[in-house]
Amino acid sequence: MSRSRREFVAASAAGGLCLLTFSLAGCDTKLTPAQARAANLPPRTLDTQSLTTLESLAEILVPGAAAAGIAQYLDHQLSGAPADSMLMIKYLNVGMPFVQFYRGGVQAAELAARRQFTRPVAELSPQQSSHLLRQMSAGELEGWQGPPQGLFYFVLRNDAVDVLYGTQSGFELLGVPYMAHIVPPSKWG
Amino acid sequence: MTSDPPHEPLDAIIIGSGAAGSSMAAHLAEGGKRVLILEAGPARTAADLVSSTLFARRVKWTGPPVLEEGRNPVGFMFNAAFGTGGAALHHYAVWPRMHPEDFEMRSRYDRGLDWPLKYPELAPYYDQVQREAGIAGDAEQEVWRPPGAAYPMPGVPLFPQGAAIARGFRKLGKAVAPLPLAVTTTNYQGRAQCLWDGWCDCGCPIGALANPLTIHLPRALAAGARLLNDTAAVKLRTNADGTRAVAVEVAKKNGSRETLRANLIVLAAFSVENPRLLLASANDRHPQGLGNSAGYVGRYLMSHTAGLVYGLFDQDTRPYMGAFGGQLVNQDSYPKTTHRGSGAFGSYQWMIAQAVKPNDLLGISTTRPDLFGAPLQEFMRRATRGFAGMTAIVEDLPAPDNRVTLAAQRDAHGVPLARVFHETHPESIALWHAALTEGKAVMAAAGAREVWTGPPGGMHIMGGTVMGSSAANSVTNQYGQIHDIPNLVVAGPGLFPTSAGVNPTFTVHALAARTAARLLANWRQIVG
Repeated sequence: MSRSRREFVAASAAGGLCLLTFSLAGCDTKLTPAQARAANLPPRTLDTQSLTTLESLAEILVPGAAAAGIAQYLDHQLSGAPADSMLMIKYLNVGMPFVQFYRGGVQAAELAARRQFTRPVAELSPQQSSHLLRQMSAGELEGWQGPPQGLFYFVLRNDAVDVLYGTQSGFELLGVPYMAHIVPPSKWG
Repeated sequence: MTSDPPHEPLDAIIIGSGAAGSSMAAHLAEGGKRVLILEAGPARTAADLVSSTLFARRVKWTGPPVLEEGRNPVGFMFNAAFGTGGAALHHYAVWPRMHPEDFEMRSRYDRGLDWPLKYPELAPYYDQVQREAGIAGDAEQEVWRPPGAAYPMPGVPLFPQGAAIARGFRKLGKAVAPLPLAVTTTNYQGRAQCLWDGWCDCGCPIGALANPLTIHLPRALAAGARLLNDTAAVKLRTNADGTRAVAVEVAKKNGSRETLRANLIVLAAFSVENPRLLLASANDRHPQGLGNSAGYVGRYLMSHTAGLVYGLFDQDTRPYMGAFGGQLVNQDSYPKTTHRGSGAFGSYQWMIAQAVKPNDLLGISTTRPDLFGAPLQEFMRRATRGFAGMTAIVEDLPAPDNRVTLAAQRDAHGVPLARVFHETHPESIALWHAALTEGKAVMAAAGAREVWTGPPGGMHIMGGTVMGSSAANSVTNQYGQIHDIPNLVVAGPGLFPTSAGVNPTFTVHALAARTAARLLANWRQIVG
């Protein structure tokens, strides 16, 4: 039963590759979420407009999350089996399928943005987005019709933190030693 | 009730492969019994325990949904797990003993319930389990510790985070001691020493932490027990007069069903699924569910309230080093009336200087959910250097209305889902506030530049199938036997009549070892 950390690292041939399986030109291809974003791959579960909204909000919450592939990460995770999901929402007593939670949050956020600023989330200034998110976190957006707005803020913020800081490269960004027993075969799955 | 299925019965079927189930399986199999372990979730091995807070979420619960209600949810989805090893696969191995007064809450304090056994009856099994599993600690420094054998391994090492917080306790005249951890501080019984890199929440793959994959499942399997994964128990069957359990109806992942007979059936599927299965197994003789003649199945569900206190220090605390459970313990607030003046009642202990990662529900970023944008970036940069935290395990006084019932909705196998209602007792809420007040004072005394606290979260789930002196006040006797069905046994924290102010897993193991010894010594009389 006892194995050393070095044995586990050595046993992980894929150690550090940080890849996800995406479909590129009809073939399953290993890419990081950031690479998937750069390749402009079509989404599988959420529509492009919803992903744009989520990415816009996430980038305000955690600068760098967009380039790290938050939209591709969410779409990928929401496309798989719940047992394989690595989303924090699993902990939070939210009913499945989780995609309904995200769709509901996107729709409500868009309505709130148009009501307050007469433009979609993706076209808000950083100050307007921040104002919207502060109200959302406090549950103060009037007329919100979706999942609890404070919970939607909390979930999306933590998704963005996961994408940017929850990986080996994120640890490096913060100067935190990763010290893996078993190196994750990919960033997210 | 149905007619008995035809095949030769096993000696024992154990439902659940977590701490309680794997322990029972090891002891019974080593006692010569033919044991089958049923695990609803998938097979897991050490190689599945990837060092990643994201991957760790794959071992958490993905079984049938649990519908949580009430002001203070027990946090089932975070506390439970699905697959080999159960919740103990990702537990943090903080293994303190319960105190003698925890067993006598009703008779000493007119609160909650009495256990049907007292500390001295359990103490030999604490000693036995700590030899088997290995616990690191310092019995002399741990001045609050009830009587028992000294720890078999020296205490956990102190890292800068622990040293920083310890200064605060000492300045206020409070003691600290190495946190008792079922983690190797030396090479122990062939297990390698811990590397202190803080990945316990993902499950320890190197055998340093005493989880079921390391301790009891290998023993059980070596002694001939079998483990069936992806096999959910959906109904318990009794004989015609309802006096004996005779079989378990199971559903496989592919939807096929089978009925498995056994002379002994052990329910070790955690504090919510155990009562769910008892209630869902109602029959003509037990129309309210098995073991529920007095209506106690599902009642007295408890969950510790986490008292989360954080500090930010100027010095580098290296908060990512150590064990997820912590480095130090303080139990100065264990006497039940310590904070009586503030309307509080009960015990709590501090788990001090827990290793943290940047993200996740218990990660650094989540301690300040109000921050986003540039302030979050700045906080992360500072906190990954100077963060320190500690958690009070706050006792939850038992209340009968905190309970598991069956919902109208059903799972894929047709079994009603569990509905869980929980609202923390007002005296326990007051105790949580008292803990936060003390914790903030400690952090300030330690020299933290900033001090803040977290919300009350549910940690550990206990009760729901409480043990007691008779069917009039409980579900089982002191050995976990259902009062009116003695060959149907419950194991796990669901048996606890009170929650105490300490982590439950050590007590789960001690109770399981005691029950297994009792069953083996009286097999013919109890099991037939």
